[in-house]
Amino acid sequence: MIEVKNVNKKYGRKQVLKDISFTAEKGEITCLIGINGVGKTTIMKAIMALTPINSGEILMDGEKITKKSFEKITFIPDTITMLPQMKINEAFAFMADFYKSWNPQRAEELLQFFKLDPNERIANLSKGNTAKVNMLLGLSLDVDYLLMDEPFSGIDIFSREQIAEVFTSHLIEERGVIITTHEISDIEHLIDKAVLMDDGAVLREFSVEEVRENEGKSVVDVMREVYRA
Amino acid sequence: MTINFNNRDPVYVQVIRHLKEQIAKGFYEPGQEIPSRRELANQLKINPNTAQRAYKEMEEQGLIFTEGNMPSCITKDEAVLKNVREELIIEAVDLFLGSIKSIDVPLAEVLELVKKKHDAESGEAEESK
Repeated sequence: MIEVKNVNKKYGRKQVLKDISFTAEKGEITCLIGINGVGKTTIMKAIMALTPINSGEILMDGEKITKKSFEKITFIPDTITMLPQMKINEAFAFMADFYKSWNPQRAEELLQFFKLDPNERIANLSKGNTAKVNMLLGLSLDVDYLLMDEPFSGIDIFSREQIAEVFTSHLIEERGVIITTHEISDIEHLIDKAVLMDDGAVLREFSVEEVRENEGKSVVDVMREVYRA
Repeated sequence: MTINFNNRDPVYVQVIRHLKEQIAKGFYEPGQEIPSRRELANQLKINPNTAQRAYKEMEEQGLIFTEGNMPSCITKDEAVLKNVREELIIEAVDLFLGSIKSIDVPLAEVLELVKKKHDAESGEAEESK
C-alpha cells in the first residue's frame, strides 16, 4: 500500500499541495482526478522523491521511500525520457543496464502487443506510438507499484483503447497502480478507486463500485456533486 | 463479446446480468466451462478485481461452481437455470408494463401491437438468414 499522509508543499509562496492524504492499495487501480494544475503530477513526483515536500509523510508498504525503493516502484511520466535518437531496442538496453527489475520477456511481449518495431528510432515515432513505448518501458519493470501520469492524454482513440486493454490484463494484475487523468470517461470501468482533487487538496476519495452500488452514481455524477458544490 | 456498460450500476452486477442472459439464451449448456476471471476481464475490458467479484457473487448464487483448481462451470442444477430465464422474462415484462402504464393504453391494443411487431421482426430475421 502507498500511503500519502498530510503532505504539504510550497513552490515559493504558492502552496501547491494542501494537507493531501490518500492511500493506494496493491492490486488496485487508483485514479487521481482533477483539471490541469491541481497538483496531480506534483504528488506523483513527491511519491517518487523527485521533489521535496514541506511536511507530511509518504510510505510504501509501511516504509519511507529510499534509493532501494526504485526497484519496487516506478513512474511513467507523460513524456518519454529516453533520448530521441535511440532506437527502441537501444532504449531496452539502457533500461536493462539501469534496473535490476527490467524484464526482457515482458518487454518483448508488449512490443508484440503494441505492434512496434524495435529498430525504429524514438524520434521517428508517432505521438501514439511514443506514448506506447513510454508505457512499455515502465510496464516491463517487475515492480509492485506503477505511477502513470496522464497515460491517455493527447493520443488517438485506438491507441487509447490499446493502452486501456493493458489495464485489464496480467501486465497490471497484482500490482498497485496510480494513474492521473483529467478525462475519466474512457476508464470509468477500469479503476477501483477515485481520488478527486482540486486546488492542491483532496476533496473526496471513494471506491467506484461502492458508490455505484450504494448510491447508484457514476464517477462523473460524484464529480458533478463535488466540483459544483 | 462486449457489453455496453452503463456507468451507474455496479459493473459486477452488469457482468452477472450478462452471464444470466447468455444462460437464458442457451449460449451456455449446464455444466459448461466459462472463461476464467482473467479472460473475462480482458474480453469485457474491465478491472480484474471486478471480474473476481462477479464470479464470487455468481458462486454464492449457485449460478456457477468451481472445483479445486479447475475452471469455473455453469451449474447443472436445472431449477436454478430455469429460474434465471424466468427472472429475466419477468424483469423485462415489468419494465414494459411500467412504460405502458405511463401512456395509459388498453392491454388488448398493446398485445395486438406486440404480436404484430414481433412477427414482423422475426420474419425479417428469417429472411436475412
